[in-house]
Amino acid sequence: MPIGGRKQPPTAVELEHATVTSPLSGREWELPGMWNRMFEQRVEWDFTTEGFEKIGSLEGGESLEWCYGCGKCVPVCPVDLVGEYGPRKIHRKVQTGLDLFTSDDLWLCTTCMNCLRVCPKEVDMVKVMPAVREVAVAEGQVPGELADVFEKTFRYGNALGENPRRRHAWTRDAGVDVRVLASDPRPVDVLFYVEDYWSYHPRGMQAARSFARVATALGVDFAILGPEEKTIGDSQRLAGEKGLFEALMEDVVATLDRYEFQRIVTPDPHGFNALVKEYPKRGHRYDVLHYTQLLAPLVDRIEWRKELDCTVTFHDPCYLGRHNGEYDAPRTLLRAIPGVRLVEMGRCRENGYCCGGGGGGMWLDGLTANHTSERLSERRVREAVESGADVLAVCCPYEVSRFEDGAKSTGNDQLQVRDIIELVDEAMGGGGG
Amino acid sequence: MGSERVVVIGGGPAGLAAAAAVADVGSAVTLVEWAPFLGGTPIAENYAALTPNMESAEVAMGRMIDRVTSNELVDVRLGSQVAACEPDGHGFRLELSGDGAGPLHADAVVVATGFQHFDPGRETQMYGYYEFPDVVALQDLEAMLKDHHVVRPSNGQPPERICFVQCVGSRDRQIGNEYCSKVCCGIASKEAIEVRQQLPDCKVFIFYIDMRMYGYWENQIYWPAQEQYHVQYVKGIITEVLQKGDKLLVRGEDTTMGRPMEVTMDLVVLSVGMEPSLGTRLMAKTFGVAQNKYGFIDAAHAPLDTVSTSRPGIFACGAALGPADLEDSVSSAAAAAVRAVAHARSHQPVGA
Repeated sequence: MPIGGRKQPPTAVELEHATVTSPLSGREWELPGMWNRMFEQRVEWDFTTEGFEKIGSLEGGESLEWCYGCGKCVPVCPVDLVGEYGPRKIHRKVQTGLDLFTSDDLWLCTTCMNCLRVCPKEVDMVKVMPAVREVAVAEGQVPGELADVFEKTFRYGNALGENPRRRHAWTRDAGVDVRVLASDPRPVDVLFYVEDYWSYHPRGMQAARSFARVATALGVDFAILGPEEKTIGDSQRLAGEKGLFEALMEDVVATLDRYEFQRIVTPDPHGFNALVKEYPKRGHRYDVLHYTQLLAPLVDRIEWRKELDCTVTFHDPCYLGRHNGEYDAPRTLLRAIPGVRLVEMGRCRENGYCCGGGGGGMWLDGLTANHTSERLSERRVREAVESGADVLAVCCPYEVSRFEDGAKSTGNDQLQVRDIIELVDEAMGGGGG
Repeated sequence: MGSERVVVIGGGPAGLAAAAAVADVGSAVTLVEWAPFLGGTPIAENYAALTPNMESAEVAMGRMIDRVTSNELVDVRLGSQVAACEPDGHGFRLELSGDGAGPLHADAVVVATGFQHFDPGRETQMYGYYEFPDVVALQDLEAMLKDHHVVRPSNGQPPERICFVQCVGSRDRQIGNEYCSKVCCGIASKEAIEVRQQLPDCKVFIFYIDMRMYGYWENQIYWPAQEQYHVQYVKGIITEVLQKGDKLLVRGEDTTMGRPMEVTMDLVVLSVGMEPSLGTRLMAKTFGVAQNKYGFIDAAHAPLDTVSTSRPGIFACGAALGPADLEDSVSSAAAAAVRAVAHARSHQPVGA
């Protein structure tokens, strides 16, 4: 039987009409549906190779069949901890006839990559899931909430469906000048690729302002694309919209081609991932840094004005840590802040827990809630509280809102969720977001 | 070269390897085989390809046989068996019966009498080996693979779905075979690959308790079977086989799903394990060497001496000592040969 958290009842099979013959009188009785109710049969009655054949024929789908059932992936799968899901289980379900293309299981994976880290057979769900999702998307089998985000991204160039012209509205209250290349196209050192959530989400905008103040104070020569910026769309790619991602790549590259810059710096590990790994596959090569990687080497130049006096724990973003191997830059910044006592959660660095936002999970909260006992972000918030921290520090734009919601819903309002840049800004005497 | 003579009993892979090794180091050797041909079980049981390298059993064994028969130091006695053994000075006086009957002096003996396939009729689970024509054992499928004619014996049609049932006759206290037979996981996977090669449309399933792939067999057989030949491995063993229409219904537990399973198959292959051959049992008695509780000859000084028996001058090798794959068999054969030659020479007058 499923363990833990599965909220959906077994699929009921009801016959509209049934006629049974009495063994005594021989009389035929019509039975209404309520008496004909059956549940999914318990006995496994077939094993099939069809699912593997279909999935294995997709580029990136080959490795699902390689699973030999060791189960190392399941205890590290963030979804399995709150629900009935895990890569090994997907393999077995497909072997026993699951049509992954139409199953909710297809949308639960956050592509956090913790399974691949431990998989002896290199079953790569980070490739398998997007490959299968791409087919599901083409066939229109997409959860509505996700389809809505695809539509917004296609239409407005951002996942939130916000007005592209207001993409740099956050700069107004930054307290420092932020150069927009469209109006001032002089060459620049750092092209700051703000991405969606720092551009539009209220808490993200605070972080963006903090970054602008910190970068300015450190003498970083930076500028933004402003209204010309579109999302890189890496999470849309992993959620199955490869076509959209590639169309966005063309737009992004065309925009970037118009300006002279030395490096791209972004706060979004997802966009970072695509620029580092996907763009070069198409010949687009840039010098790309996550903002923590830009600032970490500069900490000695920071003039601190305030001691924060707080205990901070840090949540590694999957796409900065596991996917791209950067664990130290965020910690270097945190350790440099006066008054910050850094404590680690049990799951951190290579085995860091996932916030639930990756691979399209950001936009699948409704579907995921049907299959999990709590949100991944809620579980992570409880881990942060258990660590004794007052502040849960993050450096991925998805996470502030996810964890703030999680802190409220788990009754841990005392836990502050702050982007690292907000803490740095505050300790430098800025607004701190 | 001295006048010493080593007698090797059994003309299978281990016996052939032992005889060749004895001759290679310059001692005379008599190879006693009770069948009218050399090659042992791979030939007698019609093996198709040898595990893991997939070379034809006939070709590979033929090479071993040629190496022995072409060596003038080797005297081969086919259709013969050792009827009696008496001490004879430091050696033994053997009495052969059969085609090569007569007395024979041995300065040392290597017993290489091997194994036999477990008889699935003794299985406590109801697999119906003798009831259902479409339930076969590994060696039955080997014979079909060798002929490139894999069919359901019931109707002569190629099967669309085949499953292997692992651990038949092994790892079972009730049967008395508590040991793992070592090779069946690899053999089943090898046969599964061959089935997929010969019948590309046939689905192949392997039901197992745990896959025991030693060393390189993991990447040489198991992983290719799964990744390149799409053999489906299901963790959970079959408990019984029933007739369902013209199909077979296999019943067991899918242990990773925690649910019972009932699946139809066209052909069920029982992965039978190893038991000591009749020859191994008889020779153990004839030579008075200790056997373990399963009837295999006891390696008296294991683990670091794998070929000495309880009786000085009598050595054993291959599957006469317990479940062994071909690689282990020929390796222990070489070890037994060199020990036998050393024993024989230690009692020979120098320069004789």
